[in-house]
Order: sequence, then structure tokens, then C-alpha cells
Amino acid sequence: MTAREAVIGHRLGLHARAAAQLVQLSSRFRSEIRLTRPDRADEAVADGRSILAILLLAAGYGTRVEVTAEGEDEQEAVFAICEYLEGAASIAGES
Amino acid sequence: MVERVLQGIAASPGVAFGHAVTAWDPELVTLNYTLEPADVEAHVESFRTSVERSRRQLLKMQAELESSAGGDSTTLIDAHLLILEDSMFIDRIVDKIRDERLNSEWAIQAVSGNIFEAYDRVHDDYLRDRRGDLEDIVRRLLFNLRSYQPPTFRSLRYHSILVGKTILPSTLLELKSPRLVGVVTETGSPLSHTAIIARSMDVPAVMGVADVLPGLISGELIVVDGDEGVVIRAPSESTLGDYRKRVKRVAISRRRMSRAIHAPCVTKDRISILLGSNINFSQEVESVVANECEAIGLYRTEFDFFREGSPLSEEKLVRDYSHVLSVAHSLPVNIRAIDVGMQEGSEASSVPAGPRGLRFLLENKPLFRRQLRAIYRASTHGHARIVLPFVSTLDELAEANEILAGVRNRLKRKGIAYDETVPIGVMIETPAAAQTCDLMASEVDFFCLGTNDLIQYSLAIDRKEHASMDLYNPFHPAVLRLLRQVHELVSPSGKTVVVCGEIAADPPAAAMLLGLGFTALSVRVGAYRRVKRMIRSVVLAELRELTAELLTMRSRDEIERRVREVVG
Repeated sequence: MTAREAVIGHRLGLHARAAAQLVQLSSRFRSEIRLTRPDRADEAVADGRSILAILLLAAGYGTRVEVTAEGEDEQEAVFAICEYLEGAASIAGES
Repeated sequence: MVERVLQGIAASPGVAFGHAVTAWDPELVTLNYTLEPADVEAHVESFRTSVERSRRQLLKMQAELESSAGGDSTTLIDAHLLILEDSMFIDRIVDKIRDERLNSEWAIQAVSGNIFEAYDRVHDDYLRDRRGDLEDIVRRLLFNLRSYQPPTFRSLRYHSILVGKTILPSTLLELKSPRLVGVVTETGSPLSHTAIIARSMDVPAVMGVADVLPGLISGELIVVDGDEGVVIRAPSESTLGDYRKRVKRVAISRRRMSRAIHAPCVTKDRISILLGSNINFSQEVESVVANECEAIGLYRTEFDFFREGSPLSEEKLVRDYSHVLSVAHSLPVNIRAIDVGMQEGSEASSVPAGPRGLRFLLENKPLFRRQLRAIYRASTHGHARIVLPFVSTLDELAEANEILAGVRNRLKRKGIAYDETVPIGVMIETPAAAQTCDLMASEVDFFCLGTNDLIQYSLAIDRKEHASMDLYNPFHPAVLRLLRQVHELVSPSGKTVVVCGEIAADPPAAAMLLGLGFTALSVRVGAYRRVKRMIRSVVLAELRELTAELLTMRSRDEIERRVREVVG
């Protein structure tokens, strides 16, 4: 299992559009991907492929999110997702 | 969950308990029921088909948007598409259908209901608004599902209480099922058409219950108390026990009253009073006849007229009216031409909304003529009378009379049979008509007094705004004086006035009407027996004295107290 923390770099946070792109990104990997918010008491866990769950994380700009992945491409997955969350990478073909 | 009592406004009397059926989209009431084991897979299948259909619709929409608007506007559709692939949503719905045997519509609502709740708990305004995307998808799924399995409202499997933000009158009519036992809405008032229909169907209703929907799950057991105007969620065993007793008591007293059905409608001093019933749709005529009513004092035709969404054809109207007239047999039926402007489903629109009643009809003459032709063509089946709605000037009345004559002439020329003696009446429901009814008397055969509107316009209140409900009071001294005036203005002409507003359905207020000299009342079917019982228990001479005393009083509370002292 690979885990890493990321700070949301999108100014609008993980809202509809960003969440949709995140789901599309997660779907490119074979690993199970989970996002959690360590700061939240309810320890909400979101499946990286569930847009509804990701929206429910309500992760705004500057929120810390822990990304974990388990599977053959877990390292690449965690890396790509964290880069995306921090705003360092955008998804190919989209701005 | 602990018992919660939610306060609203009593809109239709009676009490009931049953399972909540939520109708958050007033156009899309779904039926919730437990499946037979054999039907489970068929529901999973139709749900999956609906998902697939929805997906294709969205993809098509996206392709169209991409070619016209560029990529930016399609991300919203992306989100919708992803919801359709989201296992948190789709798989859970399938599980609900399989594990709990909920029908597919119910499963969709149950799962989305849970997610909505989770959204509502998040303290993030932007995100909270995102629930709109999910609502959108849910609506689409339900619509697509519906085209596969048109729900039949007659198949409610248990006692159900319809709960919605607003519920359209037409929805209620469609739902006419003996298992529909209650109605709860967040908006609306006892004077809305939905409330009128609930009363005519004898279904308890509570309206203006703020925030009843959040957290309410379809299938939850709730109590509707249309006498006290409350809704009880998660009722305790003892509360349920109390209500069980009350429901039973009502049933017993109904049976007792049904024995009084054959008794003549006369006061103790043997003055005969004409007591009719109001109906809102053609099928109601059977219950009017079963109650041995003496007349149909008001048939509000707009509900039937628009029941298919657009105006009915002349042939369908002829069929409706022929049915009503032949079932009513020798009873007179006051058929009121459509009163639009107040009908139009959206209860949110505030009152003086565009032209209404006769004004509307004169602006839409083809529609008006179509209805009049239908009434005349049906008139050979019984005792039809035509009532013109919402009249406010003599000029309008003269114009309407010309149109009526024109319709008759055309039928005669074409050799179509009709009753030439169909009486023509007008509604007195504007202060203008109340002031000039003596002038109108020579132009018409009879009057119907529509007190709901008359009171509202006279007291300057907005009847859809429930905040002003306590302003709406039939015991206001101004109302009493106005009613006396109408009676005095019409009396010399000898024309009858049938009082057919809500005021006549409340026994103490109805007693006041008798005291003022009115001898013809018409009430909704549900109130018929209790008004008749009141009539049979009073002495008219005493009511006259009582009313003379009421006319000297200064406040509505004083008047109301005094009337209720005398008439229970």
C-alpha cells in the first residue's frame, strides 16, 4: 500500500469539475484508490472512483487529504493523484 | 428516533396514520411498495435499462453541446455521467432492490435520500448546492423508469400519506385511491385547490409544514392530524394508540351519520333548506348521489378540463358532462365554466394573477364556446345549469350572454338537440358583483355565492400566503355585513342564491348564513352530513334573532364565540 498527503491546490477546492476529473484520473489505474480527510472526526473515506463520495469530502482549497492506493500501479496512482490535487498537474487535454 | 410533532395548518379535517410517500418533485410522484420475490430481478433489470437510457441521453446532449458551445459546458454532464457510474449510487440501489425488495422507484429515492442527507450535513454552501446535480440525475432516472413501467396509482399497497413541497391538484386527482389516507405539504394553505380537493375526497391534510421533507424517508410511518394541523414523525406507541382510537371513532360516527341520510333537510321549525354538494371532477357525482344530496351546487370544471395537461376536446367534454348529468338524474347541476387563472397548478403564484374567470373566457372565446357547446350538447341528459365565474361588470355579463345566444343559435341551425331552458347564473365572488347583484338579477336566472374569493378580496388578503391565514375569517363583521347586503339586494328579484364557498361547510358559519336568510347551501361531499345534521338541529327563527345580534358586534372573535356557543 502506498500513502501520501496532499494539500488541495485548486482554488475552488474539489468541486464538481475537479471531482469529475479526479474520478476520470483514478479510473486510469488498476489499484484501489481511497481519499480521506485526517482532520475530520468522522474519518470520511472516499472511493477515488465515486464522484458522490469525493464531493462529500467537501475538500476546499488548502485542505489536507490523504491518498492511499493498493494494487500493481499504486505508486504511480498516488503520485499522479497527489500532483493533480496540488494543482501541479492538469489532466491531459483539459486546462 | 424520538417522536417529533411538526406544526402546520389544518387544511382538511380528519386524522390518519400511514406510510410517507415523498413527492419532492410534484410532477413525479412515485409509488413505493415491497416487491414480490418473483418481481425483484425484473426491477433490477428495468433500473439498469433506465441507467443506460439516461447515459445515452446525456452522451447525446454532451455531443450536441460540444459541437455548439465548446468543451467547457460539458463538464457538468461529465459529473452527471460519473454519477451514473458511481457504485456508491448505482450498486446501492441494486442492493436495495435485491436485499430489501423495494420497488425500483423507491430504491432510487431511498439511496438518493441518504446521500442528500449527507450533503445537507456538510457545512459548505457551494457543495450543498451540488445536490442539485444528483437531484437532476434522480429525476432523469425516475422519468426513464416510468416510461417502462407506468405506475398505476391504484396499486398502492398500504395506507399512504403523500408528502411534498407542493402537491398539484391534478396529482391528487390522479392518486384517487382508497389507500391514500393523508396529504402533507410544505407550502400552500387551506384555500388552495389542493386543499379543496383533499376535503372533497375526505382525505385529512396539513399544509404549510415547514421542513417536513428533510430527512423524511419514503415508507416512514407518520401521523397526519388534519383537525389540529400537525404531522407527527416517529410516533410513539402511545401516540399511535391514541390515533388508532380516533380513526375508529370517526369511522363509527360516519356510520351513524349515514343512517340520517334519508331524513329530510329541514330545520326544527320545518323550514326546508336546499343543501347541495360541490364537486371538482366528474367521477365525484356518484358519491353525491349516494349521499342523497339535493343538488350539485357547484361543479368546478377546470380540473376535468385540464386533466390531460391541455384543454379537453369538445367530444370528451360532452362525455364528461353527459355522465355527470345522467348520474345526477333529476338533480340540478350548476356547471361553472372554467375558472382559470387560479387553477394553473403552481400554487406559488400569488393571487391576482392575470385575467381570471369570465375575463379570461372573454379573452379566449374559442375555448369558452367549446365548453358551452359541450354543456348544451350534454344538456339533454339531465338538469344542467350554467354558471359564469368571477363576474365583475355588467358589460362582461352582457357579452357572455351574447356568446351564449350565439352558441345556442349555431346548435339550432345545425339541428343538434339541446335543452333550451338551461338556466344561466353568475358567481358572486368579487366585491363588485356583491355590490351590483341587484342590477345583474334581471340578466340572470340565479346566483352562486362564492365566499372563498369574496372574503379574500373584501378583506384584502392573499389566500395563498399562509402567513395571512388568520386574517381570513368568515366571522369578520365586514363579511357578515357584505353577506347581508347580497341577500337584501337579491331578495326583491326572487332569484335564488346558492352559497357554495367553504363558509357553508362549517356548521356554525352555515347556521349564520341561514340566519341571514339564505336558504340554499352547497358544500363539499365530506361536509354534507354534518351540515345537514346542523340544519336538522336548529330553529330558524332563533337563528334570525341570533344573526341580528351578531350584526351589532364589533369583532370577529366576539361573533365567532357567540355563534359557537349556540351551534356546537
